[in-house]
Amino acid sequence: MANSENTNLTVREGYDRYQNNTHRLGRIFTTIVLLLLLAAPFVIGLYLNTVPNLSAALKAFLGVGIVYLVSGIVEYLIYVPMLGAGGSYLAFITGNLINMKIPCAINARDIVGVKSGTPENEIISTLSIATSSLVTIVVLALGVILMIPLQPVLQSPALQPAFENVVPALFGAMACKYYRSDKTVALIVLSFMTLLFVFVPSLIGSTSMMVIPSGALAIGLSYLSFRKKAKAAEEGGNA
Amino acid sequence: MELLSRLNSPVLYLICGGIILFVAVICIVFAVRAYRMGKAMGIDVSKMKRVITASATFAVLPSIGILLGVIALSGSLGTPWPWLRLSVIGALHYETQVAEAASEAVGIGGLSIANMTPEAFTTIALLMSFCIMWGMVLVIFNGKAYSKRLQNPVSDKKEESGGKKKKPGLAGFGDTAMTAMFIGLVSAYIASYIGQIVSGDGLFTFTGSWLPLAVAVVAALAMAVFIRIKETKKADWIDSFSVAGSMLIAMTAAIFLGRLAG
Repeated sequence: MANSENTNLTVREGYDRYQNNTHRLGRIFTTIVLLLLLAAPFVIGLYLNTVPNLSAALKAFLGVGIVYLVSGIVEYLIYVPMLGAGGSYLAFITGNLINMKIPCAINARDIVGVKSGTPENEIISTLSIATSSLVTIVVLALGVILMIPLQPVLQSPALQPAFENVVPALFGAMACKYYRSDKTVALIVLSFMTLLFVFVPSLIGSTSMMVIPSGALAIGLSYLSFRKKAKAAEEGGNA
Repeated sequence: MELLSRLNSPVLYLICGGIILFVAVICIVFAVRAYRMGKAMGIDVSKMKRVITASATFAVLPSIGILLGVIALSGSLGTPWPWLRLSVIGALHYETQVAEAASEAVGIGGLSIANMTPEAFTTIALLMSFCIMWGMVLVIFNGKAYSKRLQNPVSDKKEESGGKKKKPGLAGFGDTAMTAMFIGLVSAYIASYIGQIVSGDGLFTFTGSWLPLAVAVVAALAMAVFIRIKETKKADWIDSFSVAGSMLIAMTAAIFLGRLAG
């Protein structure tokens, strides 16, 4: 009996040590990757004989970057409990959370049958995210190697209209995806923004800045709708 | 085109490949540590092997979808930078939006290799790195404290000890707010394409380029087909390809529509 308790204590101590080291390594590695990613544009600038335009970067950040600041905080608060410590460090380094890491970790958790917040989940989640990240890295590396001989084709003038319309292609696909979730809000916001651009065409060149009023309007309308539904549900529950 | 050749040069492959290699090493370190700890904790080794196999197979299809994203961005940003961004931290929709916003701010109009300058490229690259770093920043400074709080939640203790029931407020609004934010973001751009047609060359002249709106419509239709297939055939796997697939279909249409637009 005493022997078993000692063994459990040793495993628990080992797990605590593992967790502390995970945080230590996670913070060190994440900091290094963050610095590398921020330094890379400057290093590339040295090669291209230029430097990034910081005032333009700030202007663009105030437009579209704010959206990602908010979504980054929300993602952090929601996903860390699902992924555990090790999984979170890896997932935030490697990205593609919604389209791969989260479903992959949940799938792994379901296969083994562990619960969130348990030491077992911590291990399974870390293994799952590390494996899926490595697979992505390998697939992309192989794909990029195969793309090298295709560079002349990809750079041909005939294909340029395709690459010049990457952004409209993205927003069309996303519109279909997100508009379905709240058609009323989508219709109001799209109509309002269309009138704005039609009557003040000078704003077309600053579309990224116009994301702020557009996003604020969408969030405001969604909040009103959310409150209305919550109130109706509360009244339904009381009745 | 000369700039595109420089953006595809071995130097850029080396810079981007080096960072990707470092991230691969981090993944291996974390995987090995987790596997060893799992063994020490008595987790069945066969279960851990199943997790590794299942995660590897699960990741193949989405990874091909991500590769399509690299191809989509390679025409305007070269191959190495999108390769880095989509291997580490990024996601296709995010990278494209931020790159577009940076292109506007730096004065080249939009994300296109025709107007790209070295300064514009490095600014776009910096903004792509900067805008999405918040998850990493939070996990560096708050990851340990947040994880510990989750293991010992204060709110549960309060509830157990007869704490007051929370009023419904902002709780639960997070997901809705994120969707709303994307609706706002997408609407701003789609509306700008309509504004471009109607008043791009002067108020109500209707002579602006219709190509961006037409491409967006084709992408939306393609996406609708993907969603329809997913829902009717219960093909959840199609989610991995839907955005990149819709984009590639719309981009292919742009080649033919571009000829009509002149």
